[in-house]
Amino acid sequence: MTRRKIFGLGAVTAAAALTLAACGGSSSGGGSTAKASFNQGLTSVVNSSSHTGGTMTFDLSSTPDSTDYDNTYYAYMWNFVRLYSMQLMTYKSCPGACGNTLVPQLATGPGQVTDNGLTWTYHIKPNVHFENGDLVTSKDVKYGIERSFAKDVLPNGPNYYSALLVGGSSYKGPYKNPAGLDSIATPDSTTIVFHLVQPFSDFDYVVAIPQSSPVEQSWDTGKYGGANFQLHPESTGPYAFSAYTLNKQFTLVKNTHWSAATDPEAKQLVDKIVVNLNVSQNQIDNNLVSNFADVDMSGTGVQTAAVRDKLLTNATQHADADNPINGFGRFVYINEKVIPNVHCREAIEFAANKTTLQNAWGGPVVGGAIASTVMPPTVSGYQQFDLYKAVSQPSGDATDAKAQLQQCGQASGFSTGLAYRSDRPQETAAAQALQASLAQVGIKVTLNGYTSGKYYTNFAGDPAYVHAHSLGLDMGGWGPDWPDGYGFLDYLTNGATISPAGNTNIAEVNDPAVNSLFAQAGKGTISQNVAIWPQIDKAVMQQAAILPMVYQKVLLYRNPNLTNVYVDKAFGMYNYAVLGLK
Amino acid sequence: MAAPLEVSPVGTEVAPEAVVTGLAGQQIEGRSLGQIAWLRLRRDRVAMAGGVFVILLIVVAVIGPFLVQNPNIYHPNLINSTLQGPNGAFGGLSLAHPLGVEPQTGRDMLARVVDGAWVSLLIGFLSTVLAVVIGVFFGLIAGYFGGWLDNLIGRLMDVFLAFPLLVFALALVGVIPTTAFGLSGNTLRMSILIFIIGFFSWPYMGRIIRGQVLSLREREFVDAARSLGGRGPYILVRELLPNLWGPILVYATLLIPTNILFEAALSYLGVGIIPPQPSWGAMLSNAVLNGYYYIDPMYMVIPGLAIFLTVMAFNLFGDGLRDALDPKTR
Repeated sequence: MTRRKIFGLGAVTAAAALTLAACGGSSSGGGSTAKASFNQGLTSVVNSSSHTGGTMTFDLSSTPDSTDYDNTYYAYMWNFVRLYSMQLMTYKSCPGACGNTLVPQLATGPGQVTDNGLTWTYHIKPNVHFENGDLVTSKDVKYGIERSFAKDVLPNGPNYYSALLVGGSSYKGPYKNPAGLDSIATPDSTTIVFHLVQPFSDFDYVVAIPQSSPVEQSWDTGKYGGANFQLHPESTGPYAFSAYTLNKQFTLVKNTHWSAATDPEAKQLVDKIVVNLNVSQNQIDNNLVSNFADVDMSGTGVQTAAVRDKLLTNATQHADADNPINGFGRFVYINEKVIPNVHCREAIEFAANKTTLQNAWGGPVVGGAIASTVMPPTVSGYQQFDLYKAVSQPSGDATDAKAQLQQCGQASGFSTGLAYRSDRPQETAAAQALQASLAQVGIKVTLNGYTSGKYYTNFAGDPAYVHAHSLGLDMGGWGPDWPDGYGFLDYLTNGATISPAGNTNIAEVNDPAVNSLFAQAGKGTISQNVAIWPQIDKAVMQQAAILPMVYQKVLLYRNPNLTNVYVDKAFGMYNYAVLGLK
Repeated sequence: MAAPLEVSPVGTEVAPEAVVTGLAGQQIEGRSLGQIAWLRLRRDRVAMAGGVFVILLIVVAVIGPFLVQNPNIYHPNLINSTLQGPNGAFGGLSLAHPLGVEPQTGRDMLARVVDGAWVSLLIGFLSTVLAVVIGVFFGLIAGYFGGWLDNLIGRLMDVFLAFPLLVFALALVGVIPTTAFGLSGNTLRMSILIFIIGFFSWPYMGRIIRGQVLSLREREFVDAARSLGGRGPYILVRELLPNLWGPILVYATLLIPTNILFEAALSYLGVGIIPPQPSWGAMLSNAVLNGYYYIDPMYMVIPGLAIFLTVMAFNLFGDGLRDALDPKTR
């Protein structure tokens, strides 16, 4: 349960093989609509239309970890798989804050909780079909979830099921244990029951992860079985795979057995979807603005400086851009073991120049908004507060910082180490900016750069290493697996998550008050917990365990040819399930 | 990449010594070889310009950092927060910042270029010293003793020449810990860079010395020394080495700029100096790899120009020195 969702950030492209940009989706004769405006896609649907037809082109600068929904951990893939799969629950397809709402998709309603939170029951819709016409039954959902346990064949994807389900930690998937996992029961063809090892109030979010897509055992043992499943994942969504040339391109066509009546959260507007892989980022950005491609699949926004500047300075193109907060947070964890005095930690919070940190991440547009809380505004339960004048005095407050240093007994400052990933230019820039601003109040920071490969296993994520090298400050980022406080705060601040390697609670927050709030949230429901998350956020900020730098933002180009475009709050990028073409 | 650049002689034509006449009333004295070489060098204006520039650069590198402002002070008010480029033309050029400011941070460019000079020079110079010491040692014994020893050293040089140096350097710098051998931070990083660059560029020097020794050891003075009872070490150090100072000096001068470029290349690839210590290669890398050249071309031009001028000055001076010490190669 401790993997972070990887965003294809700063997509450095290595591929020399440029795919020929398919000339799809360009200049069809759609009628002219009202002029769009900058950031319009954040709050409303742009170019709302039910016009059908056309070929939509997605470009991607890399390749997905897998197109198999049981084997992917990229945010953009979790967004994209909605085009060819259905889960028990899903995120509501609507703009603005409403996009974080969970709604039943394959299920008829949210999970029914019994047995003190240990049993979750879902009833599935009786009239949903696979792309081959077979009826979807609860056994197919069970099988789909079971194959996500086969980590030897399908190594990617989160491990919530194996951590939460009874017997899950020892189950090796249907290829090795064909008898199946007993804690997923299917009393009849439309009922599925999960038995948990401990109450878990966010279980509805877990069944919204692509791993709960139904799969027929006959499909998984046939031509497209096991590791080959990704070449043609069995579809229950509006589109189905028609061709896949690995590392180059895959194509989806309409799934004739899909019905809008049973799946209101997706749309089937275009005839064909083409995804070009390993296109250089520079090429993608230019393809987008010159209309050779419709969407940059990675959702990380325009990276090419020339295109980006045009989007920022040219009024016409500026109107076709959205600049959402994508749900990713950038932090400096202030280790409570290395810097045990809260006043010394508060001095760091006050002294840090948030403007230079923001610039290090790329400035207010492509970097992010200055953060004053651990949870970003995209998360349900977010509450705004500003304990250390991050927003009101972003250049840092030397007076308050010195007062805190006085109380800490280190009036002239102290020395500490800063861990960062030296192969990431933005993190390197942020490390220097923090060093320069803390130096102004006498806090001497030594920079310790590491390669990103083993950063979380051997360095910042290893408490013993952090203590031995006095790394009081450690840079890191976090993207939650689902947009609520649990997905954010549990890994970063729950005392129970401190582990000797791959530690995510890098600040080593182990506060009785915070821990009891987590215990309380474990017994509550998703809607009750919305009130608990901001309390935890505030408690963590009060002990100055985390210095939030930015709520990351991306600059997305909204191709004027697209219809029904808006930023999906749950993913921080356009909702791929409902797009159409003019 | 670390091969001394083979530059065709282009210096101004040097007048033959015979033309130089002593001033009236002064007695004409015989001139030593050193005096003649110095006279030749002094008449080579291009080489002298290169030499003067090099001296100037050393002065700047040594005392410059004390004269310019702090290179690590951020000026976020001097940059455009949206595009991240400096406000104003030519990279935010102003009286307070004569070379403008760095994009994204607003740090003073002049201060960073000046503070980066000693890094380039120190690494270029010390790695060359290392290369010269190893190269001369192996070149001398290979050339003088010949036989299987020559063969062995020759093949060793081949191995070093064929080594994928950049890949090795990247891997090595990537895995070194933050503290090792009692050193830490940039001291450690620079020592390792000097070691890598020096250790892998000695074969060039070695081959040249070996070639020179091959011809020198057959000369009469060596025979004379040997017949008087001189042994290997004595002949190598007292008879051969003094005759090799010319080529050593020349190729060392030509090796320095290639080593500076190599340091810049490593910094460009992100395994050079640890920030915030400025380095020309790292500045260039930041400008190119992070796309700043598009919004602020000066950020790429200034460190690029600094590297270009330094390398050219060393090369011109080295060329002139070779012409002066060894006119036969002209």
